[in-house]
Amino acid sequence: MSQPLSLDRLRPCLEGIVPSGIATCGVDGMPNITYVSQLMYVDPEHVALSFQFFNKTRENILANPVATVLMMDPDTAARYRLTLRYLRTETAGPLFERMKAKLAGIASHEGMSAVFRLLGADVYRVQAIEAVPGRELPPVEEGPALLPALRRSVDALAACPSQESLIDCFCTCLERHFDIRHQMLLMADVPAARLYIVASRGYAQPGTGAEVPFGVGVIGVAAREQVPIRIMFPASDYAYSRMLRDQAAASELAGQLETRIPLPGLAEPASQLAVPVMAGGRLVAVAYVESRQECHFGYDLEDALVALAATLGLSMAASLCAEAAEEPVEVRGAPPSAMPAGEPVQVRYFNRDGSVFLGDDYLIKGVAGVILWRLLGDHQRTGRSEFSNRELRLDPALRLPDVCDNLEARLILLQRRLQERCGWLGIEKTGRGRFRLVLARPVILLAEEPA
Amino acid sequence: MTSPELLDPELAAFITGNLSLQLAATDAAGLATVVRCVGCRVSADRRRVTLLMPRSQATPVLAGIAANGRVAVVFNEPSSYRTLQLKGRDARIEAPLPEDADALQPYAAGFARRLAPLQVPEPYVRTLVSCSPEDLVAVSFTPLEAYAQTPGPHAGRRLAPGESGA
Repeated sequence: MSQPLSLDRLRPCLEGIVPSGIATCGVDGMPNITYVSQLMYVDPEHVALSFQFFNKTRENILANPVATVLMMDPDTAARYRLTLRYLRTETAGPLFERMKAKLAGIASHEGMSAVFRLLGADVYRVQAIEAVPGRELPPVEEGPALLPALRRSVDALAACPSQESLIDCFCTCLERHFDIRHQMLLMADVPAARLYIVASRGYAQPGTGAEVPFGVGVIGVAAREQVPIRIMFPASDYAYSRMLRDQAAASELAGQLETRIPLPGLAEPASQLAVPVMAGGRLVAVAYVESRQECHFGYDLEDALVALAATLGLSMAASLCAEAAEEPVEVRGAPPSAMPAGEPVQVRYFNRDGSVFLGDDYLIKGVAGVILWRLLGDHQRTGRSEFSNRELRLDPALRLPDVCDNLEARLILLQRRLQERCGWLGIEKTGRGRFRLVLARPVILLAEEPA
Repeated sequence: MTSPELLDPELAAFITGNLSLQLAATDAAGLATVVRCVGCRVSADRRRVTLLMPRSQATPVLAGIAANGRVAVVFNEPSSYRTLQLKGRDARIEAPLPEDADALQPYAAGFARRLAPLQVPEPYVRTLVSCSPEDLVAVSFTPLEAYAQTPGPHAGRRLAPGESGA
């Protein structure tokens, strides 16, 4: 005796790869049939259909809320009839945004971007699923087995002692266990409504410090709505270079957004998935993966990455608490280090946006820039090179946006940006909540604007 | 009463051009149901359209047609997205003609050729529209209404007799 059909096992039919048909019945008893642009999985009992135009299907469903959908498995050609009952239409929120992003992929896949504007996500309850008899192809097994990959990744994250090792381990797991070639991890700066890259893999330039505003592109929408956004086809509407240029220029963030560090990323990704990393209801980060191959990231991979992101988020929160509890207030005992010899470098600082230039080269701005400026100033005045996270946290001059701010992530960003841009200046961690400024050349500090 | 001729030669050629075909029927309780079809022919006078389908997949559809004769059929050309819906009220279930079984393979091959530019593998298409000759059943009707359904704001517009809907 076979098990009853579950929508959870039929999700490939709901990817929009093979168009489904929807049959409705008018008040006059006449049938109506049309192809559906998008039928989306919501949960085991519900699906959503895209509402783009007022048409006969919609007229019928508002008068007589039952419908039948014929959907096809994109690998095996197996057919299923779903009996649906219309419940409601959502015009905003996570489901709407997921559908809008997905539809953008399908629309551009079908060369229909201009006419595919989503008006609503029509939510239906699935009342029955019928397997339609007929020939099928054998199922296709593609990519790594996801549960073992998830298990190995969770185990690896559990062994990480610090924020930095969690970040690197997460990226390595996606590469090694999930065979993902292009990825970015972006930390959330919630008060500033933007994200900044702390790690990336698979690009010519790592783009550490590059920023994405909330609401822009797949990553920004995933952050704003706190929901995974997955696109199976190239979607020009969600391509970053253009989006960022257009939307950033129009937004009030225009002057503040990091634009000097270019965002890495594939020029024309065919598949994209952005997963919010949450901890206790707070957005911590967004993990983004992309591929040049269409239909590369399915529902099951999305599930696996959501589960892995949950582990990452909670591990990061736990690691922050542990570090904060052990943070020394002040680091004493280290003798002041002598100013290094050699050709001095001008370090210029702009108080307006916290931007720092090494010579003529732009390094970083924002909180990371302010931190570096403070460390260099302290070092020049007192010869100190040992510092604690806590003294930074308590320093009002740093303008940390939030008591709960992930200062450690900003230090990791600063450390990586220095590693990428300059061989003579760096910061290195010396223990929980403490770090050292490493300076191999003398510096001349120039504040370009009064504080 | 004879209906005005709804299908001009161009529309008749369009719907018999190895398109993606789905047919819907309704039951007395107001539930519509649907089946994928595996062929289409048009009578010489273009007043009667016949859809072919696997009987084993069409059980609820055939029950609806037997009860009330109402059908809606959607024809979709995958490469152009041109989509047309025909409706009728006098549908009948018929035994297939001998040539209907002969048309199964050419239909599958022609439909596969239409989907090849969209990277749909031929074995997939042949599986999707496979039907044994013994399982074949025909449904014929007089199209009374035609609607253009090519995606866009004009989808659903009713066509006048002879209008192409392209």
